[in-house]
Amino acid sequence: MSYKLPTEKDLEAMVGIVGKEYASNNKAITASYLAKSVMGLESQIPDIVVRPKYVEEIRKILVYCSQEKIAVSPVSGGLSGGFACPTIKPGGVLLDLGRMDRIIEIDEKNRYAIVEPGVTNGSLWAYMEKYHPDWAPPIADGAPPAATVMGDAIDRGFSLYTSSVGPQGDNFMAGEIVFPNGDVVRTGSWALPFAKPFYKYGLGPDMWSYLMGSQGTMGVVTKAAVKIYPHPKFKTVIAWGMSNPQDMQDLTLEVGMQEFGVAHNTVMVQGGNYPLVMARWPKDKVPHDYAFYKEMGIPEWWMNWECWAQSQEELDFVTNKINKMAEDFKANRAKDGDAMKPWVLHPKQIASRLKKPNKIAVPYSFWEAGFLFITWYTPWNECAHFAEMYNAAMEKYGFPPVMWIASIERCRQAICMPIVCFDSTKPEDFEKVQALNLETTEYGLKQGWLNYRPDPYIHVQAYYQAGMYWKYLRAFKNLVDPNGIMHPGRLALP
Amino acid sequence: MAKTGMKRLEELKPEIYKCIHCKACRFAYSGEPSRKGIGEHTGKTGKSILYEGMVDSCPAGIEYGWEAFWNAGKVWIARSILSGDLEFTEEVRDVIMPCITCGQCSAQCENKIPTVDIIEALRAALVESGVPMIDKHQLVDRLVKELNNPYGGKADERFKWAKDAGLGKYVNNKEAKIGYYVGCTASYRQVEVAIATAKLFDQLGMNFTLIEEEVCCGSPFFRVGAVDTAQELMNKNLENFKHLEKVYFSCAGCYRTFTIDYPKWMPEGEKLPFKTQHAFELISSLISIPKKKKELPAEIDALKKKLKEKPDKRVEAQIKRLEAEYAKLNEFKGEIKFKPNKELKGKIVTYHDPCHTGRHFAIDMEQEMIKESKNLMFDMRLINQRIEEWFEIPRIILRKLEEDVGIKFTEMYRIKLNSMCCGAGGGVRAGYPEFSLRTASLRCDEANAINADILTTECPFCWRNLTDANEQYNHGMIVMGVLEMISKYNLLDIIEKPEF
Repeated sequence: MSYKLPTEKDLEAMVGIVGKEYASNNKAITASYLAKSVMGLESQIPDIVVRPKYVEEIRKILVYCSQEKIAVSPVSGGLSGGFACPTIKPGGVLLDLGRMDRIIEIDEKNRYAIVEPGVTNGSLWAYMEKYHPDWAPPIADGAPPAATVMGDAIDRGFSLYTSSVGPQGDNFMAGEIVFPNGDVVRTGSWALPFAKPFYKYGLGPDMWSYLMGSQGTMGVVTKAAVKIYPHPKFKTVIAWGMSNPQDMQDLTLEVGMQEFGVAHNTVMVQGGNYPLVMARWPKDKVPHDYAFYKEMGIPEWWMNWECWAQSQEELDFVTNKINKMAEDFKANRAKDGDAMKPWVLHPKQIASRLKKPNKIAVPYSFWEAGFLFITWYTPWNECAHFAEMYNAAMEKYGFPPVMWIASIERCRQAICMPIVCFDSTKPEDFEKVQALNLETTEYGLKQGWLNYRPDPYIHVQAYYQAGMYWKYLRAFKNLVDPNGIMHPGRLALP
Repeated sequence: MAKTGMKRLEELKPEIYKCIHCKACRFAYSGEPSRKGIGEHTGKTGKSILYEGMVDSCPAGIEYGWEAFWNAGKVWIARSILSGDLEFTEEVRDVIMPCITCGQCSAQCENKIPTVDIIEALRAALVESGVPMIDKHQLVDRLVKELNNPYGGKADERFKWAKDAGLGKYVNNKEAKIGYYVGCTASYRQVEVAIATAKLFDQLGMNFTLIEEEVCCGSPFFRVGAVDTAQELMNKNLENFKHLEKVYFSCAGCYRTFTIDYPKWMPEGEKLPFKTQHAFELISSLISIPKKKKELPAEIDALKKKLKEKPDKRVEAQIKRLEAEYAKLNEFKGEIKFKPNKELKGKIVTYHDPCHTGRHFAIDMEQEMIKESKNLMFDMRLINQRIEEWFEIPRIILRKLEEDVGIKFTEMYRIKLNSMCCGAGGGVRAGYPEFSLRTASLRCDEANAINADILTTECPFCWRNLTDANEQYNHGMIVMGVLEMISKYNLLDIIEKPEF
């Protein structure tokens, strides 16, 4: 597939659509959209950046670029810690959707919020705290405040209550998307012109699922209706420490499998190991031995349960139940029961964990000068295996074994996130990271584990192994993006 | 520290490469999304801002919108320069110059990236590469070389304000070991600030000198990348002030430049030959130290009682520390309060933290303490405490004014480390005056949102920009310096004369 390198004439065409102020090929402006870290090491300077505000502008841009075979990469906030969807080869046009920042509607009775792609976690949080304080905004947990609701969904990311209800993508009821063939489509019940976006499965087969997880490879999502959930006043975090990931996995699964009455209240269930704390500080300014962290009361491994409830009674029931289960697990089934104990959190620690949105995932660059989240999905009861394998691999390549694991939908899946902290000023470190990624990918795919944000050069192997699935994905892609302009290279499409 | 732009940029490479483009740097209170605020307010230009949680606070990003104008974009521009993906051109200049270097971005960065240093190094490297400065910056560069100030004022009229105000005896006062560095803005424009400060020093019985050979501190030139000019000015000032033991300042920019920039740009191993302090620190200490002297004995007694009841090594150590502090405080002489004033009573007074004395000092303090730290997990709490104490200094004065004079001191939403810039610094007021004034108007909007009658600050440059916006956009407030208020309304009441 060959793409056109945009020229001045193409820039003029963009200016004709959005106005002179909102289209540029100024080299400093285009370079400023680079990001080589966090989600991916590949990023190329786009040739033109365009900042549309209206659906019709996007439609015209896509139709033009499709005709001219110019690659297009849409970016809402571009985040989840660094640009998650940077331009990669062949460059082309980057659509900065930041001007589309309207919170269109909050419907408390039908429990959804309609947002444009540029609505950030921070702005939605502030708005709903002020005007709809009884409802929790459907923002990403862990992603920085400037990350967007839209970007989080399209990447099927984490919401505030993912451990209870499922990934952010599941919270999407309906969307509006502009395809490169010029069609503007609404999904679910929204496909009907006078219908509210109240039902995801709308008129028939759910088209939204083709778009979620697409990272901008199908079209540009210009509106999304996202579920909102009650934001109760009764919240807390409880935690248990243990010496190994197996006990972390098994205890958490037992709690998750309770489902009703317990696990449904555990909105965020996440854990990890002590290097998660260590690697948030400069490498040369914190001890590396576990002995120091042990003395500070930090367990080697732990699991947190963030619990929400409609009353203190309900909250106490949930937390007591979890604690009781943990005691029972410790006594009867733990691999290392002696090492297991409740991690008593200071009220400030609890407050810090309850704070959303937060910058908790940001300071891993403080360790050296760069990091990558190489995130995977596994069945929950395989996350310990993943953690042990990956930690060993990170140590083999000289990286601290930083591991974060969280539950999706009551331990149906685990999101396993090794945080690879490296020195991005050193080319040899890049090579080591790629080598680590390749080695662990080969292993991971054999286990049936999935990449969360596929690296186009390493994780693409997954698609080669899922040929029939890929065939249908490509068929849909060809239908809506016949000239393959949308973020080519991501997901190995085309 | 490397003394040229490109070398400095290369030195900063590990910092530049830390940026993950998380964009926290766009917002004030990026880590406090649930912070309670003052609700929504529509400003004079019709722009509505929700002062709750995180608020967009990068002036250049707000003005221009492109990623390149927000800090993270500029850091990635710097990275592209270092990696050879981008060359210096006028296009690059026109993107990196409209940055006020307010430091909001640095304050928000969880990876503690020194963003202001990076932007200044990037600009210095740009100038070095031969790309011409923008016209306005070229003009001020010429003016300072000819007249020792960027305003085009006559060199021999620098202290006209002193002579007109009856303070001529302090010009070249050979007996004095304390200096007052006035700066160009207060000398040629906001003379009220200079007069007020000098009169307060006079009232307090300070024997100080104004050095007639004083030249521009060099701040505008450090900020815009004209580091050769800046260093020439620095060397002249160091030569002319070197015989003094202490130098006071009334301008945030000059104070920052002398205290933070000069030591970095001086030859390795050399230190400033004199101590520096801002005038507001002096006034504040004349309130806080006597207060602390009165409170400490009771605090120590309470701890001794506690120790008697139950031996505790930590309490013992705390008593020792407080007793040492008390002994040191006892050496300090001087106490002031303020006189009541009918005109000011009941007026809502707010305070704008100048970026240069506020955030820049806080960030510099943080960076130094991080460098010295052996275990940052332990030391971070102390660092944050020190920063909080720093921002309290002007507030001690304002709370005392509230207590004694009857003003109503009311904070704006964005304050201290999260303060919104006035729009004047970084070469922007000269180079991009409309953008500069719009930014100042946004700040005035924030003061209007709390119904402020008087907007105070402690920097003549902030004073100027906020005043101009106040008038141009009809914000309807009075803008003045805190020390100017004290002097103008004759509020100073000396309980015990200080010793200098």
